[in-house]
Amino acid sequence: MDAQTALRGALEVLLWWAGLTVLWLVLISTVDTLEWVVGASAALVGALAARAARRAVGGR
Amino acid sequence: MNGWTLTATVALGAGVGATVWGVATGPLRRRVVAQNLSSALACPGLLLLAQGYGRPAYIDLALVLALLGPVGTLVFARLLADDLAEDPPHAWGVTFAVAGYGAVVVLVLCAVTGPGRAMVKLLVIGALLIGGNLVASRALSGGFARSRRG
Repeated sequence: MDAQTALRGALEVLLWWAGLTVLWLVLISTVDTLEWVVGASAALVGALAARAARRAVGGR
Repeated sequence: MNGWTLTATVALGAGVGATVWGVATGPLRRRVVAQNLSSALACPGLLLLAQGYGRPAYIDLALVLALLGPVGTLVFARLLADDLAEDPPHAWGVTFAVAGYGAVVVLVLCAVTGPGRAMVKLLVIGALLIGGNLVASRALSGGFARSRRG
């Protein structure tokens, strides 16, 4: 894996992470620090899974 | 009983009642379409009931249904692919009518809710509901047949 591929992968995970965290914060009723921590953690797991799933579907 | 719950009752009674009848009778191509439309009709009903009872937490039920309804239809589309290929359903008129009904309900509720996170949540549910049902309808009518490899 060269530097460009790694950078593109990190960028993709970062975009998924941001999008999923925003989705979490939109869907809950009250936003506080604990929800931020739990939401960001769950969104990071989801972001890694999303990238893995997209690569599996794309066949790369 | 207020306007919201009255509308929800009429929509659930007439709409979901009609889809139950459609699922229980007739040829396969009509049954799968009715099954797909039942969740597309029940989801706006749940949104209207949440508004009518003043319980925003009930909206989560509609969110879950908007997500899982089309997934259930995709399972049927996959399991019945061979039977549906011989006699594919063509019900785009009623599909778009139900999608339009969902869009109207979501937009009216957005107007009532006002800008904020709750409105974004409603728009997410609406996008899942309409997008999911259009994709599921297309899968039922064999629209993704070319992507079925191996």
